[in-house]
Formats: sequence, structure tokens, C-alpha cells
Amino acid sequence: MVDIRLNATINGRKVSRDAKPHLRLLDFLRDDLNLTGNKEGCGAGECGTCSVFVDGVLMKSCLMPVAKAQGAQIDTIESLAKSGELSVLQKAFHKAGASQCGYCIPGMVMAATAALRANPFADREEIKERLGGNICRCTGYQKIFDAVELARDVQNGRLPATALLETDTADGEVIGKSVRRIDAPSKVSGRLKYAGDMTMPGMLYVQVLRSPHAHARIVSIDTSAALAMEGVESVITSADVPGKDGFGVFVHDQPIMARDKVRYVGEAIAAVAAEDALTAKRAVAAIKVVYERLVPVFDPDEAMRVGAAVVHDYAPDNITKHIPIRVGDVEAGFAESDLVIEENYSTQAIEHAYLEPEAGLAYVDHDDVVTVVSPSQNITHHRHMLARIIARPISKVRFIMSPVGGGFGGKEDMIYQGMLALLAMKTMRPVRLVYTREESIISTAKRHPSRTTLRMGVMRDGRIRALAMRMVCDGGAYGLSTEGVMRKAAILAAGPYNIPNVRIDTFGIYTNNTPSGAFRSFGALQTQFATESHLDIIAERLGLDPFEIRRINAMRDGATTHTKQKLGSVSLMRALDAAEQASGWEAGAPAVRGPTRGDLAHDDVRPSVTLGARFGADDTQEAAE
Amino acid sequence: MARKRGRGMAACWYGIARTATIDRAAAWAEIDDGGSAKIVTGVTEIGEGILTVLAQIAAHEIGVKPEHVVIGDNDTARAPEAAHAGASRQTYMVGNVVALASREARQRLVDVMAEMWDVSAETIRTGNGEIWAENTNHRISMGEAVACAKNRGVVPIGSATFGTDTTGIMDGKGGDGSGRPWQAYVFGCQVAEVEVDTITGEVQVLAVWAAHDVGRAVNPQGVEGQIEGGIVQAIGQALMEDYQLNDGHTSTSGFAKYILPTSLDVPRVNSIIIEDPDPIGPLGVKGIGEPAMVPTIPAVMNAIYDAVGVRVFDLPATPEKILLAMREKARREATMAMQAAE
Ligand code: FES
Ligand code: FES
Repeated sequence: MVDIRLNATINGRKVSRDAKPHLRLLDFLRDDLNLTGNKEGCGAGECGTCSVFVDGVLMKSCLMPVAKAQGAQIDTIESLAKSGELSVLQKAFHKAGASQCGYCIPGMVMAATAALRANPFADREEIKERLGGNICRCTGYQKIFDAVELARDVQNGRLPATALLETDTADGEVIGKSVRRIDAPSKVSGRLKYAGDMTMPGMLYVQVLRSPHAHARIVSIDTSAALAMEGVESVITSADVPGKDGFGVFVHDQPIMARDKVRYVGEAIAAVAAEDALTAKRAVAAIKVVYERLVPVFDPDEAMRVGAAVVHDYAPDNITKHIPIRVGDVEAGFAESDLVIEENYSTQAIEHAYLEPEAGLAYVDHDDVVTVVSPSQNITHHRHMLARIIARPISKVRFIMSPVGGGFGGKEDMIYQGMLALLAMKTMRPVRLVYTREESIISTAKRHPSRTTLRMGVMRDGRIRALAMRMVCDGGAYGLSTEGVMRKAAILAAGPYNIPNVRIDTFGIYTNNTPSGAFRSFGALQTQFATESHLDIIAERLGLDPFEIRRINAMRDGATTHTKQKLGSVSLMRALDAAEQASGWEAGAPAVRGPTRGDLAHDDVRPSVTLGARFGADDTQEAAE
Repeated sequence: MARKRGRGMAACWYGIARTATIDRAAAWAEIDDGGSAKIVTGVTEIGEGILTVLAQIAAHEIGVKPEHVVIGDNDTARAPEAAHAGASRQTYMVGNVVALASREARQRLVDVMAEMWDVSAETIRTGNGEIWAENTNHRISMGEAVACAKNRGVVPIGSATFGTDTTGIMDGKGGDGSGRPWQAYVFGCQVAEVEVDTITGEVQVLAVWAAHDVGRAVNPQGVEGQIEGGIVQAIGQALMEDYQLNDGHTSTSGFAKYILPTSLDVPRVNSIIIEDPDPIGPLGVKGIGEPAMVPTIPAVMNAIYDAVGVRVFDLPATPEKILLAMREKARREATMAMQAAE
């Protein structure tokens, strides 16, 4: 295909350039013009990180072919703070603490700019609706709404411009003060470079071949056709790993590319480095792999049964980790209880959905140091593992953390850095890999899905006498953080309550599903969901207020935990009192009081919405002026 | 009424820093030319605002403004180890160690000035970019003080390491799980108010009151940001998110199918910050990142029950599940009424 000549006005400057016709406007802006402020969060029009103005209209540039921009006036996030002076809205984002990882923020600022242009007096509910096409995974949106309201009021003269500035305290004390975030200006302006925004001279582009099967033996991999392609510099498989392959947070059971067999759909098998991404993609398609399908196992309870398919030879029972907690005698505790209740709970797999998909660069520097730049949550540990995998001394391996566009535990795993390092060593050139959203979702860790059976025995007065919990979690194909998740889940399972008899067992199980790994709240979320639901069921049966049953059992200062640790100060009672008071809680047993309670709908509650009542979906992209 | 409201609550606890192992972190501090502070540590900003927290801590300890703190962050060839971003550990581990390193750098400078001014080091104060000796008219800027120190051949630097007094737990075969997994614990409680549409089964979380002990809030706005973000992630898991697999293949490989909370799904979050200082670390700080999302799901499920009398045991509580449970409940009640009538 021949290039097209694109003439457009971009950020106020006339641009006339050749562009590949298959490009999206987002690629042209980011790759050809180096305007990397607007990001690619999904490439499918779903997240809004790529939002720009086209002739003044807010558009998702990932959905727009570059040819459509012919003759248009395009404004990116870079246009808002041209000479370094932030716009009122950007300053308001800074002041309100509206940026966390920052990856959604350029798109969010564009959408908010459009919202206030469309209606300079928009109220909070309208602002929410106008930002409905932009996802933020970090902030919970509250401070973003605060920021837009602040900017609106400053623009309308209802608040002075000084409302955007740091509030200095007279005594100069800075701890306990909401000092503005030091990294916010770089995030609201789009100037912060994430790994996917970085380039290096001579850089090669990496693409990964992934498994279409959940469980299969790799009979052969033929890379010759891929290697023969013009523009392909290197193709690697597990056969190229020079050291002891294997990574993981607790057990090193995962090779950097599948070795001998694949254990889940999406597992990396080979990687290509080429002069451009398209060539790398074509080369990946030219790799021939012969598989022999193996019987898979997808259900963790089935995987624990004798005779189930074995995912890892070292764990013939498919148990990654079992954690027991034992206090007292649970059976005796149940026997003396006035009421014993058992229920089953389950939780689903959850995707971290950080807005920044995985990305990284690697190169071998002038001192032969293998260097990896990536948005990782744990480069200290990655360096240890990589040194062993590539058989270099630790001093010859360097990890540099690039800004992390959201992690939530999902970027603790060294899932792609090994491939990058190996390709840099093979080619002696810088290499870069940027995941698509789909790649990120199918190949990286999830929150452990869980099945829990919980049995609790209580006395009539509400005192818990015994608790028995068994939780089975699907750890998926590799160990990653499963061991730690099971441990934390078990230690915290019974909640902050004094219970004389406790039996807890958590099991992390290998299956041929997408691996589960670290995820914010790390197992404690699953077990405490069960325990805290259960307490309400029991409170209803006993006619106790939910706060009351928790107070009756609450750990106090000097309590002993279920791991027999003696605590110092315990703030649980303060937290219960504070939440009860702040919410104006009306006491009573949790017996479907909703229709009659008197504490509903006061000032701290948002109005409920009828979705899409005010604006149609298209209407939110209306003209800005 | 097609829409019914209800309230529910739940409590939580959480351990701060790495679990059942000894955690550690290190930092270097320097009071630089011009009186700014330079902190180098292998910290990992993942969006929670740790760099700002560290700037505040260094500013507080050294006596400069936070905007005059420069932080060199994680690079394994340039920064001392501060370990990973996770386990709600960074304010606790890295915050405390930056305080210790900053104190040492400040002490170096103070000692030089005490000698120069011929006063006891205990009488020297720093703050807002200045250094002075109490009850004297000695008062200069930090920049001038650094120049004084360097003229005497002293570069005011400090370094520190901070480790936890923790153990593994007995979780081997036949173990009872006993041990000291953390030295700092936090507790929290949340109340949720929901509205359930009894026709569509849709649940809206309208408000959450979240009371969390954080030890000491270095940056209250940042703490609120963690609470708000955590609650909204938890609401995603409670009501809509679901990574689905069929024979190992996902049907939710994009945001069109994998539904995330948007601006229209979020409750008003009312945060109440509780400060029960950690007695072990030098600052009293603890953590908030993870505990913030632990009580939300059960609080929402308890609130749904309060509203319409059905309880969801299998997450997420989708409209279909709510409707199904409501229909079953109606059937059960009808049967019971019939039996009672017979
Ligand atoms: S909407 Fe364009 S990248 Fe997500
Ligand atoms: S700040 Fe919005 S996605 Fe991280």
C-alpha cells in the first residue's frame, strides 16, 4: 500500500507528512509525531485514554483511520499546556489529587475539557455523565469529579484562582497536610513517559507467539520461515535460554517461554524482534508449532482428585499450597454452640485492568549490563530471577522502573521481561514490547477465584465459639503469588474477632486456566467476604444489630490473633464507632429493614441515576464550541 | 416501589508489609546545595502517591519544603533496595526508612552548625528551609548551612535501613499456623447504602462510609484517594466484573465484555481517617492500599439483603442473579403461606 500525504493542523501547527494508510490517528500522533501524551488503553474505543479533539469534537483516536484526519484540526493533550503553563482544569486535577497512576488522566482531562466547554455550569451529576466514556481504574473517580467542579467554579469566577494553589500552613508542618502530588503536573500534561511511550535509536519491535491450547505437549517449533523474513532480527524460544529458566514470586515454576509443554491459553511460546511491529507480527504468524493435545483440567476441585491431569510434575496432586490455621478444638466448639450455621461462598476471577498494558524496553549497555526498563512492581526480585535465567552475575543485570500505569498486584510478575532481555542479548540492539489490551487480559494473572465453605458456631448472646473454613482457589497454570495469597487469606480469614476454636484451610490449586496471582487485598478479600456475610446471617438469627455482634466478638487491645500473636493497640472498636456515627446508622437486626429504616438518603448519599436518562451515548461526543 | 434501598456494614483487618517473613527497606538522604533534599531509594510509585508521601516525610524531618525534595526512585543499579510495591507496605517500610535516613543527614548538618555557632546541638532547629539556634540570633538558610558544612569538608548525608520483627507461620504439614506475620495491623469498617431495582435487578451503590485506621495520615487526600479507588474496585467485583473462561479460553478479552465501573457506577465515598499510631516505626504510619477494599463487598451484599431480602453468595451480584434470587424467595414465601393456610 502506498503512503498517503496527510495535511492537517496539529496542536496549532501545519503538518504535512506521509503516513502509512493502515495507521489509526492514535498511531500517527504517537509514533510518527511523537505526541505520546494521549495513551492507548484498549485500542477498541472502550476506555477513552486516547481522546483528542478533531475539529473541536472529542474523539477516540484509536477508532479513527489516519486518512480521516485529512485537513482536520487536531488537538492533543499537549495542546492544553503549550508553554508549560497548565490549564485551569489541569491545575484543578493537580490540586484535587485527581491523578494517581496517571495513565487515564490525559484522556480524562480532554473529556473534562470537552464537558466544561459544552456546559460551563455543569453540575456534578452532569459531569459524571459527560465523563462516562472514560475509565479510570485507580481513583474511584471522586477526586476527578472534585477537580472538574473546582475548575468550573474558578472559570466561572465563583472561586478565586488561588483555590488551585497549595495551601501553606502557618507552622510549616507538612505531615498530615494534603500537599499536592509532586508527580501530578507531569501526568495531567501528558509529559510523563511510560514504557510504551519511550523509544531508543535503532530500536527493534517485539511480538510474542502465544498458545492456542490450554494443555499440550510441544512436539516441535520451526522458526526458520520467520527468521528468513526481511526485517526480522531474531526469533527466540525456550531453547535460547542460557541459564536456569523459571520465575515466580514463591516457586519458580514458569519458564519465560513455554518449555516442552503449554499449560494455558495465551502462554508465550516464542518471541520475534524485527525492524517494525508489522514485520514482527507477520513473523510470529510464520512460526510453525506442532502440538500434541493433553487432557486439560479446569476445575480446581477436580484437579485435587486422584487421577486428574497433572499440570506440573513436581506437584502430582496439583496442590500449589495448603495453609492450615488451628486454634483450640473446633468440633468441641460447635458442640457447645447454641447455633451453628454453614454456607458456601464463591468469588470470581477478576482482571486488574490497569489502564497501562504491559510494556518494556531492554538493551545491553556499553558495560555489558543487560538492562530492562519496565513498569514492574518488584524489580528487586526480577533482577535476582533474571540473572539466574540468563546466567549473568547480578551486577550485570539492571532493572529500571518506568512509571507504572496502574499495578494492583498485576505487575509483580516477571511475565515478559525475560523475553526482552534475551532478545536484547541476541540482537545487541534495544528492543521494545508493548502488549495489546487483549494480550494483557489473556496472558497475565487474575484475582484467585475461590470456593469457600464456612461454618460458624455461636452462643445465644452472640459470642462466636467456633469457626471452620475451607477455601479452594484456582491458581491457574503457574504458581506466581498463589502461596502468599493462600497464606494471607488464611491468617486473616476469621476476621478481627476473638474465637477460641478455629480451623482454617486454604488451598491454591494448579489448573489449565489463566494463572492467578497477586491482586490488591491478596486473598483476604475472598475470606473476609465470607466471614462478614456470615456474621450478618447469624446476627439476623440472633436478633442482633450487625455492629453489636461484631462488638461482642471484637479483638481489643492486647488480643491474641488466630496465629497466636499478641497484639498491642487494636483500633477496631474505634473504626466500628466511627462508621456507625458517620453514617447515622439506625440500630436493629439485619432482617430486611430497608423498607422501614429511617437513616436512608441523607446528605452523604448521591442521588440514584437512571442510566442514560439525560444524554444519549453519541451526545457526549457533541461539538465543543 | 420498584426501587428499594438498604444498608449494610462490614468490618475488616489487615496486616501491613510483607506477610510472614522479614521485610526490609533502605534509603539514602543528602541535604544538597541550595538547601534542597535528595532522597534515593528503590521505591516504586504505582500511582498511590508514595513519592509525595516521601517528599513530605523528608521535608518534615530535614526542615525544608516538600517541593524542595528530589527523589531518585527505583533503579537496581543506582538505588538501595526498598523491595516491592505491594502488601500495603510502602508508606510503612519506605516512609519509615526515609525518615531515619533524613534524620541522620540532618544531624550531620546540625553538628557542623552547633560547632560553628558554639551552641549545643540540642538547641538547633530546622524548618521551612531555615536552620537556627534557639534563644540566639543565629538563623541562616539551609542552603547557606550546606555551604558551611562543605567548607568544613562535610557533605551532609545519611543512610538507613528498616526491618521488621516478624516470623514465618507454622504452615507445614501438621502445623497450626502460629507465628508473628506482621508487626503492624490495621482495622476498618464500612457502611454501604444501596438501591436495588426490583424490576431489572440492578444494584446501585449510592454511598459508602469508610472508617480506616492508617496509623498516621501523612497526606489525607492521598489516603482518601486510596479508600475511594479501593472501594470502587471492590464494587466492580461485587456487581459486574467477571473474567470468564470456557475450557481455558476467555470470552472477556476486552473492555466491551469485561465490564469495569465507570463514573456513573460509583457511590459517594465518605472517608473517616482514624489514627492509631504504630508504636514501632519512627513515624507512627501504617498503610491503607489494600484494607480499603476488604469490607466493601460484604457491606454491599449485606445492604442488598437489607433492601430486598436476598443474599448473593456467588459473586458478582449481577442483575440476573438478584432477580433469580428474588423470584426464588417469592416462591418460597408463597409455599410457606400456602402451608400455613392449610
Ligand atoms: S478508547 Fe481508544 S485506546 Fe481505549
Ligand atoms: S489514575 Fe486513572 S487509571 Fe490510574
